[in-house]
Amino acid sequence: MAPKYKLVYFDVKGRGELARLLFAVAEVEYEDYRFKEEDWPKLKGDTPFGQVPVLEVDGKPLAQSNAIARYLAREFGLAGKTAWDQAQVDMIVETMQDMGNPVIPIFMCKNEEEKAKLTKTYAEETLPRYMEALQKILVANTEGKGFFVGDEMTLADLALFASFDWFEAGAKNPLEKFPKLQEFKDRIASCPKIAAWLEKRPKTEF
Amino acid sequence: MAHKYKLIYFDRRGRGEVARLLFAAAGVEYEDFRFKKEEWPKYKGTTPFGQCPVLEVDGKPLTQSNAIVRHLAREFGLAGKTAWDQAQVDMILETMQDIANPISVICLCKDEEEKHALKATYEEETLPRYLEAVQKILAANKDGKGFLVGDEMTVADLSLFWTLDCIPVMVKNPTAKFPKLQEFRDRIAAVPNIAAWLEKLPKTADWDNSNVEHNP
Repeated sequence: MAPKYKLVYFDVKGRGELARLLFAVAEVEYEDYRFKEEDWPKLKGDTPFGQVPVLEVDGKPLAQSNAIARYLAREFGLAGKTAWDQAQVDMIVETMQDMGNPVIPIFMCKNEEEKAKLTKTYAEETLPRYMEALQKILVANTEGKGFFVGDEMTLADLALFASFDWFEAGAKNPLEKFPKLQEFKDRIASCPKIAAWLEKRPKTEF
Repeated sequence: MAHKYKLIYFDRRGRGEVARLLFAAAGVEYEDFRFKKEEWPKYKGTTPFGQCPVLEVDGKPLTQSNAIVRHLAREFGLAGKTAWDQAQVDMILETMQDIANPISVICLCKDEEEKHALKATYEEETLPRYLEAVQKILAANKDGKGFLVGDEMTVADLSLFWTLDCIPVMVKNPTAKFPKLQEFRDRIAAVPNIAAWLEKLPKTADWDNSNVEHNP
């Protein structure tokens, strides 16, 4: 019998969106439980580590957004076809952390001058370095006209797709100098199941 | 035919150590290639993302310490026995990042006042919250006398073992209020393959500021 899935998260995209994209691509039913920020203190103590998202599978909790994503990807056959492919997919998913983490200090920075400096480093050095490396990987695989790893969509493609909004919060137009990544983004967005989800999903700022 | 493994990393424990612990636990041969900090510029451009560690498997590169760790764990049967166990193991690996990453951030913080505040939050709130949660998971499995997930050692145990050794650079005696975690740490250290590695490992600077990595 199919497992009963419930994703518990704030009413934002944030660290919950990758799981939601996986459910959409796999066309698997789940409860997309979104709570309001004021309800968080009440729920926090019930989570394994005082954090969300949490995925409940038949009532059993799994925390940590990337552990959730990898678990669902494996269950849905979206983790990569071979052990080595899975490792390459994993490498790309991990890289999203490195690319996205600098955005937090930029957001939190109260000093305008410091913030401008951090943003400049992110937009002109950090992010382009990773974008260049990713574009290289994409191009090496079917000339960049397909996916990051192998012949079919995997978690790696969805993880990057889900991260673009986040990068843009730290640096304007990050794909300007990376046409193959822009094409990739457009290509993923127009996959029917993803397009349907993008259309249907609650419209939140983050 | 057995794979040829080469782990490329700085001459320190840091983000290479869990991979090394996996090789030790599994009893698998590998080349433990360590370069000095000043040699890094020479290697940096040859890596997929300008970062290390890099694991070469039959000459093919894999980077990102956690991707390396999960790949080796799966190859060596140390990832967890069922899909759900693997997910729980993975959850713990992620949590070890949440415990260790703030240490780097605090070490690298230049503003003394901010550094002091961050350290206080880490010591009084963040760290106890995580250690309590991890101890609870351990205690729920065989009353805390075994491993974190299932009946056998997994990479979750090795990662916790290593993380507990990293914390003291920021917070002394982190397991003082978490006796089951201290017992766990000692139990893992006594596993023959692990004890042999701890005996043999190069005595490099363990976790000082030079171990703190900053990805510019």
